Amino acid sequence: MASFKKLLMQMMINGNKQKALAILSRGDGKLKTHLNSCVRCGLCADSCIFYLATGEERYIPARKVDLVSSVYRRYNTLAGKLIPGLVKARELDEATVTEMVDLLYGACTMCGRCTAHCSIGVDISYLVSVGRSMLAEMGMVPSTLQSTVDAAIKTGNNMGIPVDELVDTLEWLEEDLQDDLGDLSAVIPVNKSNVSILYTLNPREPKFFPLSISAMAKIFYAAGESWTLSTKMYDVTNYAYYSGNIDEAREIARRLRDEMFELNARTCVLAECGHGSRSFRWEGPNYLESSYSFETITSVELISRYLHEGRIRLDKLRNKERVTLHDPCNLVRSGGIFEEQRYILENAVSDFVEMDPYGYDNYCCGGGGGQLAMSEYGDRRLKAGELKVKQIKNTGAVTVVTPCHNCVDQLMQLNQVYKMNVKIKTLAEIVADALVL
Amino acid sequence: MHWYSILSLVALVICLVACSYHFIRLVRYGAPTDFSQKLGNTGTAIKYSFTGAMKPSKKESAYLHLPTYSAGIIYHTGTFLAIIIFFLQLSGIKFPVALEYVFSVVLIISAASGTGILIKRILIRKLRSLSCADDYFSNILVTIFQFMTVFLLIGDIYQAAYYIAVTLLLIYVPVGKLRHLIYFFAARYQLGYFYGWRGSWPPSKNY
Repeated sequence: MASFKKLLMQMMINGNKQKALAILSRGDGKLKTHLNSCVRCGLCADSCIFYLATGEERYIPARKVDLVSSVYRRYNTLAGKLIPGLVKARELDEATVTEMVDLLYGACTMCGRCTAHCSIGVDISYLVSVGRSMLAEMGMVPSTLQSTVDAAIKTGNNMGIPVDELVDTLEWLEEDLQDDLGDLSAVIPVNKSNVSILYTLNPREPKFFPLSISAMAKIFYAAGESWTLSTKMYDVTNYAYYSGNIDEAREIARRLRDEMFELNARTCVLAECGHGSRSFRWEGPNYLESSYSFETITSVELISRYLHEGRIRLDKLRNKERVTLHDPCNLVRSGGIFEEQRYILENAVSDFVEMDPYGYDNYCCGGGGGQLAMSEYGDRRLKAGELKVKQIKNTGAVTVVTPCHNCVDQLMQLNQVYKMNVKIKTLAEIVADALVL
Repeated sequence: MHWYSILSLVALVICLVACSYHFIRLVRYGAPTDFSQKLGNTGTAIKYSFTGAMKPSKKESAYLHLPTYSAGIIYHTGTFLAIIIFFLQLSGIKFPVALEYVFSVVLIISAASGTGILIKRILIRKLRSLSCADDYFSNILVTIFQFMTVFLLIGDIYQAAYYIAVTLLLIYVPVGKLRHLIYFFAARYQLGYFYGWRGSWPPSKNY
């Protein structure tokens, strides 16, 4: 059986090697720059949660860069072709691919912390994504991650939730909302056209955390917003961004863009999901090679906007316990959203304390990069989350707020494993708790 | 002109041609293309990438490793000084004796820093695991170049040895990791553009 798997792997590598190598030959200044820049100083080690949590040398970000750039050197540089031993140029063979899968998928959340602190300026997380794309071309995406992508492609959402199940959930949430507000006009609109906002969801919300949908619906109600959900395409996530399969990533982004046109909505509001926001807002137009003709913002920016415009009012005394904030890497470091969540929390809670470090320098929780979907690396992921646990414990906070459902999942698991005894909430939930209606 | 000076000039031409190839290739690829809606200011961010973001206080790779960082800065300063001296030497310009001693002191400290970095790479397992022949060879070539420059300025050296060291270095620059001489600037530009487009750099004033 083992030898059959090995044979199959060799066939997949040999059959698709040229397609993988073609990625490195692209005429792209950014690619060529970062492939040629690393000097292997190793100073990035202390910026990586996997290395800091385990002390294992193979997790040093420069090692991950070298996996990709050594293959580049072997096939694209004169020195790599003539004297591969001198410049550490590697064949794209079974050993290299096995190591790439383990380190690029299994030991990196693409949080970009190493990139921001690199002494040269090598975009390490970008090179990891390039390496993942090479692996995707060879059919080497871990099956767990690929099945998440497959579900999204086949069913329209990564958890394969049937439409009637979603509609049922939304209907009882709407009834609850009306009871809670004592107003039958409070609704969770579905498939309405010509609205201001098409609001997206992380499928984890209808499946496991429906109260975060209610929380956002309550905020929309308070702001008097014209909005809708779509049952056809509501999934904000795009795990193909993490698997590295650009064609699938493009297809997922295209569906959401097309749904915006279909419903003729003016603004696409991305639910609290770091990678979902990144993949649709920042990567999506590049997958599709065209700009969006509509506005795309995150729900964090929207809530902040409501507060600034006085469309919602909050009473911070309704959240008296100490609250800390976990900044999702894709939203802050790679998405530029820093002020908004802090402005919201200043207004929504009475005792807010930052982690150390925070914001652009915040440590990843360990759940990014598709890690939560790849159960085979679960132990490693929980170990990498140790730093986050220490950060949270040091704040003395009772509640951890994070505007990302992926982070919520990882923090909940860390909470259980490391017995932190904290509450984990989304930003919308804490805002809904403080809403003055 | 001596044969060894001519040899170093030929090496310089080869080095410049090869480096120009890398540089022109990058320029021809042009500025990054991004179809997303810009949130920040790329120009300001690129400037920040070369200035504020390079401050030791802003980079863990610097403030967590101050001795290595300082050695690196000194080493690079010495390298640029030695290169300038090489060009002036080729032009036949002579320095006042006092200046030769000042340069020599700077270069001795710089070459010692380079040696320290090399020893660190050899002794520390973590760094050894990352390294290849190119890392050691590049360091040795640059460090020897700096020591040779000192000998040339204030020592008693057979000039051919200096020019041969320069020749080897110049030939090797485009081959191995020393080509970060060009790619460092491109990387800072690309990173500034990326973070600037998304509004992450420069960081918020409240950060």
